[in-house]
Amino acid sequence: MKRTLMLAVILIAVAAGSWWFLSHRNPNTVGDTLDIYYTKASDGTSEVSWPVSMRPMQSGETSAEHTHNAALYAAVQTVAGPPADVQAVRFPAGTRVLGVTVAGPTATVDLSSDVERQSGGTFGENGEFKSLVFTLTAIRGIDAVAVLVDGKKLDTLPGGHVELDQPLHRGDF
Amino acid sequence: MSNWISHCTAGTSSIRTLLALLLLLIGAGVARADAAQTFVFAGKTLPVAHVATVGGKLAISVRDPGLAQLLRATGASMTWNPGERYVLFTTAEPQIVSFAVGDARYDVGPRSAQAGFAPYEMSGTVYVPFDELLSALYLAPKRDGDAIVIQPQLAAFDVRGNGSESVLVARAGIPLKPRIVEESASQLVYAFDGVGTTLDRSRAIRAEGIRAITFAQSGTVRAPVTTVTIALAPGTGHGRLETDDRNGFSLAIGGAAASEPVAVATPEPTAAAAATPGPQATPAPANAVATVTGIDAHAGPNGYSVDIAVAGDATYDWHRLRDPDNRFWIDIHGAALSAPIGDVVGSDPVDAVRVRQLDATTVRVALSLAGQKRLDVQPSADGVKVSVYSEDAGDDVARAGTGALGNASAVAVAPTPVPSGDAWKFGARSTYVATNPRLIVIDPGHGGSDPGAGRGGLREADLALDMAKRLRDILVARGWQVVLTRTADVDVYKPNDTARDELQARDDIANNAGARMLVSIHVNSFINAGPRGTTTYYSKPSDVALAQAVQASAAGVLGTKDDGIVKSHLYVTLHATMPAVLVETAFISNPDDLAKLTSPDWLQKLALEIADGVKKYAGAPPAPGQSANQ
Repeated sequence: MKRTLMLAVILIAVAAGSWWFLSHRNPNTVGDTLDIYYTKASDGTSEVSWPVSMRPMQSGETSAEHTHNAALYAAVQTVAGPPADVQAVRFPAGTRVLGVTVAGPTATVDLSSDVERQSGGTFGENGEFKSLVFTLTAIRGIDAVAVLVDGKKLDTLPGGHVELDQPLHRGDF
Repeated sequence: MSNWISHCTAGTSSIRTLLALLLLLIGAGVARADAAQTFVFAGKTLPVAHVATVGGKLAISVRDPGLAQLLRATGASMTWNPGERYVLFTTAEPQIVSFAVGDARYDVGPRSAQAGFAPYEMSGTVYVPFDELLSALYLAPKRDGDAIVIQPQLAAFDVRGNGSESVLVARAGIPLKPRIVEESASQLVYAFDGVGTTLDRSRAIRAEGIRAITFAQSGTVRAPVTTVTIALAPGTGHGRLETDDRNGFSLAIGGAAASEPVAVATPEPTAAAAATPGPQATPAPANAVATVTGIDAHAGPNGYSVDIAVAGDATYDWHRLRDPDNRFWIDIHGAALSAPIGDVVGSDPVDAVRVRQLDATTVRVALSLAGQKRLDVQPSADGVKVSVYSEDAGDDVARAGTGALGNASAVAVAPTPVPSGDAWKFGARSTYVATNPRLIVIDPGHGGSDPGAGRGGLREADLALDMAKRLRDILVARGWQVVLTRTADVDVYKPNDTARDELQARDDIANNAGARMLVSIHVNSFINAGPRGTTTYYSKPSDVALAQAVQASAAGVLGTKDDGIVKSHLYVTLHATMPAVLVETAFISNPDDLAKLTSPDWLQKLALEIADGVKKYAGAPPAPGQSANQ
């Protein structure tokens, strides 16, 4: 009788342990695919997403680190844009993602100053930043995107139109 | 060995650190610094300094100066920061090459593969598998004596049918400079200097017009030449060989289209056109059968009218509150907004009009009245019309009513209960009251040290000023007061100021004058000639009605494309306290639009249409003397 009770306790402990292990092993802050957005060059504002498979969370990778990696991967994909034959609003040639940080619900994307080489209209700026905001806010836990250029905060791009001194949200577009 | 590394580094970071130490200790045998190796690219020695070998495979530090030079030459870039697990390369194509510390899996665009070993951290940097990276960049390491020559490859060859012809597309490790060897009726021969290839020597092509394509490599390891021969079917024409800035070339071959893509060397990610509805869209609820398609609020000779356009069958009820709370609203039941409609700043006797989707099947239009005015509500041809008259109503005025539109049952609808207290109030944004309601501020975009977009000597700053002056003259003739933020090619704030100071200075002019509205005039531009047309941008809810009115009128002038209204986070509209829009009149980068921008007739017609949009939005200017500010 005592032995049965002990066995039951052990079984329950093992079950609880397994449950804890299985539920905490992969917090799944990011799905297996990321939705990368671009805006159509036909009107500069319609957004289209394409799925990109995301590296599974590795052991030893914390949930925060995985979210950061997802944001980084997503930002780099967005700035690179869809395949070359897709008519998309694209970031100026040479624009690179220098880094991404995630603090609370805000992802901060640091872009190289190549992004300042805009063609001059609202069209490009609107489409570029909209795609970046839509992509990053598709990641669970992120709902705003701040933009830096060469590590510095800007009010707008030089000669620009879009206001950048506050984090951008989906509702801004 | 490599398996062991990847296995261990897949563990915790402390194991990784331990491993790095271990690698340092046993050094030579496992990850051997191999600085003696010479790497040659494009005839020059690369300054490669940080390579190692892991199980006989080359690893290169992401901080290696030779790698940086190689990335620049191939049009690629890298994103990595110290301490980060991910190393991401963007190729010229563009494709993303993704490595992660401790994970032998790496991705090239949509494809995943296993590298010979997992990237690892050592001495504050990350070493990545060099051969795999080179391959992803369409480069191949070739041994030549003691040196390793990094040879650009012609790779990723594809034939696509585009409906009327076959298009050959290829990519390489470097920008291509093709030489035409032969272009005859039977074959096309092109030579690419400095490029090798591992493509199959010949392949049968099922594309119409093409019999076969042959690849041949000649020259030396350091100076390779790849020759592409395209055997044509009799009577087949061809276009010009075009190179692009993504290390590619394309060539259109005439004749019927290929029935399907063949010889696809790089599968494209499926650009799933899963368009997500924009945050602006108010999807019509399934159970709402009618649609409120628009609101036309305007001043008339005897007062103010609000025409609510309703498509479909609906019922409505309306209410008004007692003086001094002079609010009126009408609920359209069984209806949904086709698009969001922003607040409208009215004119006497209506201070403001607000439209919103109250619940899934009810659209509410609310009016803030200047006093206890006489009004009536009548079904009209397009929906329902609310007329508010200038004269005051008596005390026995009706406070509620109902009606039906279309074939909706004429059975009386029980009026919804009057909301108590503050259930329905105008938000802060709609309470803007122009201190000078006759004043319109027009902002010609850019100017002075910022010429804006340009094309062939034509400058946005000049065009915007031209259009703004035309618009001013029309509006002044119609009785408005108009202020331009600039009347010459100057900076509004000061030369070489920041865009923020410049834009704020323009907003300040309108804000300080208490203007009725701000209209900023711009010329659009893009990196290619594709996009064209007119777009009106807005930012605030209070901008929407003005944007809709201006766009409805100004788009389509003499054949210009209508690109609709677009919400964006624009400085100039956000920081204007009054309704504000930014009209991107046409694309200077599109030949058709450019022709229009150089036509005085078009510029004049556009100005007239914008003025008509202003009229549709605001009606006639209020009579002088209505404001203390005039």
